[in-house]
Amino acid sequence: MSELIELAWIVAKIVALVVPLFVAVAYMTYAERKVISAMQLRRGPNRVGWHGLLQPIADALKLLMKEVVLPSNANRFLFVLAPMLAIMPALAAWAVLPLGEGIVIADINAGLLYVLAMTSMGVYGIILAGWASNSKYALLGAMRAGAQVVSYEIAMGFALVGVLMAAGSLNMSEIVHAQAGPIWNWFWLPLLPLFVVYWISGVAETNRLPFDVAEGESEIVAGFHVEYSGMAFAIFFLAEYANMILISGLAAVMFLGGWYSPFHGLPVLGPMFDWVPGIIWFCLKICLFLFLYIWFRATFPRYRYDQIMRLGWKVLIPVTVVWLIVVSGMVLTEFGPWF
Amino acid sequence: MIEKVIFYVFAGILLAAALLVITARNPVHSALSLVLVFFTSAALWLMAEAEFLGIALILVYVGAVMVLFLFVVMMLDINIAVMREGFSRYLPLGALVAVIMVLQMLLVIGAAGVDLSGFAEATNPALSETNNIRMLGNVLYTVYVYPFELAAMVLLLAIIAAIMLTLRRRGGTRHQDINKQVRTTKAERLRMVRMASEQKNEQ
Amino acid sequence: MIESYLPVLVFIVLAMGIGVVPLLAGFVLAPRRPDQDKLSPYECGFEAFEDSRMQFDVRYYLVAILFIIFDLEIAFLFPWAIVLDEIGLFGFGAMAVFIGILLIGFLYEWKKGALEWE
Repeated sequence: MSELIELAWIVAKIVALVVPLFVAVAYMTYAERKVISAMQLRRGPNRVGWHGLLQPIADALKLLMKEVVLPSNANRFLFVLAPMLAIMPALAAWAVLPLGEGIVIADINAGLLYVLAMTSMGVYGIILAGWASNSKYALLGAMRAGAQVVSYEIAMGFALVGVLMAAGSLNMSEIVHAQAGPIWNWFWLPLLPLFVVYWISGVAETNRLPFDVAEGESEIVAGFHVEYSGMAFAIFFLAEYANMILISGLAAVMFLGGWYSPFHGLPVLGPMFDWVPGIIWFCLKICLFLFLYIWFRATFPRYRYDQIMRLGWKVLIPVTVVWLIVVSGMVLTEFGPWF
Repeated sequence: MIEKVIFYVFAGILLAAALLVITARNPVHSALSLVLVFFTSAALWLMAEAEFLGIALILVYVGAVMVLFLFVVMMLDINIAVMREGFSRYLPLGALVAVIMVLQMLLVIGAAGVDLSGFAEATNPALSETNNIRMLGNVLYTVYVYPFELAAMVLLLAIIAAIMLTLRRRGGTRHQDINKQVRTTKAERLRMVRMASEQKNEQ
Repeated sequence: MIESYLPVLVFIVLAMGIGVVPLLAGFVLAPRRPDQDKLSPYECGFEAFEDSRMQFDVRYYLVAILFIIFDLEIAFLFPWAIVLDEIGLFGFGAMAVFIGILLIGFLYEWKKGALEWE
């Protein structure tokens, strides 16, 4: 009986995480359209509801009522399986992310390793979708996306190793605890090159501009999900945005001190902001990164594919390896307030 | 109790998926079943308290090795019918290999003492309380440093072999050489030509 | 230790469910009026004239192989990173040799042009 109650409690916690996450995804699309239109001196969606605030809900309803087309030559089973494989890791990785002091669904020792394992599974949804559709554009997009995602995963993995060295733990909560203190105590400062590499590869991992050759509307129409419509398309969309928020959340946890306020531990400013719950700081940090995503989309032109691969292998990986050596020097000499 | 249920569920999925790997008609389906096999065995390893190994299995095999398998299987257009023909012919040989492997495994277990209760020691509470990744790290880079460096050599060999086997330069492709572009000089790009100024049409 | 993984398991199962439910809802609620043109694969205005599953440049496979190798390297780096302050200089040296050996491979692939896309 107690086991059942425990199970119900776990499910309740997961629902309490996933529902706000979906709302966040919906309003992320709204924010994206509004911010980009502001950057391009347009108004953006403003018809449905007050200032267009109901637009995401209208979009979701529309997608729900649209036919899910199964292309004639497609492998039906894999075609339907692919969106599920895309959303599963995008959500499951959230299990270990601490949203606040002690607010985490699964506080496991190997937290970061688990996140990396989950994000590495995201590529299956893309490859399978492309292959199962039996369409040239989809296959081309899938191959590009596959090679790109795996290439940037290496740079990302190396960048994460730096965080581990600084924190001395794989547990996400302990990584945040290791950064306790004001803004200059957080890892972004000693690990600045790794932070930049992590962020660039995070953008590439989620196939967002300027690295969106996998979708490239103007080249291969929509890449791997060109044949998907209705709810099947919506799931890919959901997975992509959930992944973006996940990458932002990871960046906040590993480099920007998770739930700590930027003034934590300071004499006057610290107590002034003590009343703000940690989860608010965490969400603000996520919003900062999400804004960067949108900003990039509005300002950067798309990279060419060979340039993307060159950046991943020949720039990011060497930079991380060099900085890892520097970090290990800092760890061994217990340098600064960080180690 | 709940642990036992989960174990048998995972073990069942593992066996079913493994069977599907060799019986599925579509090679992509078998590759995907193999993914499921790795995933469930990772779960079983986790249940045996091998935290790092379990998740590393997902990271390396599911996240990397099987991606390559899928790339290859999807793009090579393997003719399934031809492969099917060989199935019964290779069955005896395959069965023989399987039997030998089972025997070998039994020998390994036998070497550690057939008394299976010995395995219980591996999961004693004192061990599982401490962080097992930390323990692994403490010995891997100190006590087992020699095999560790050997692993690096094996990986180096793999890099070189992969490049030797697959890298072919195709002729007639155009690509951008950044160094050349940056290092270019005025003399290469610009040619000054001296010519008489054009004259107005003479009348 | 296993108990802390129970939420992860539940989450993975639920996440699969979250993938299934909207799809089912889509199939149930949305209209289904298939016709031949709608179901044919997308092309820019003409009939698809061949099977779309074409052969790909071997470079994609090479990237996948190199990815496996570097992924393994990362897997080796993880436990090392968290115990570095315990194993000290000797551990650092061991990893330096490891990375050094693999750096030879990395330089080799760089010089061979395996990282070039043309």
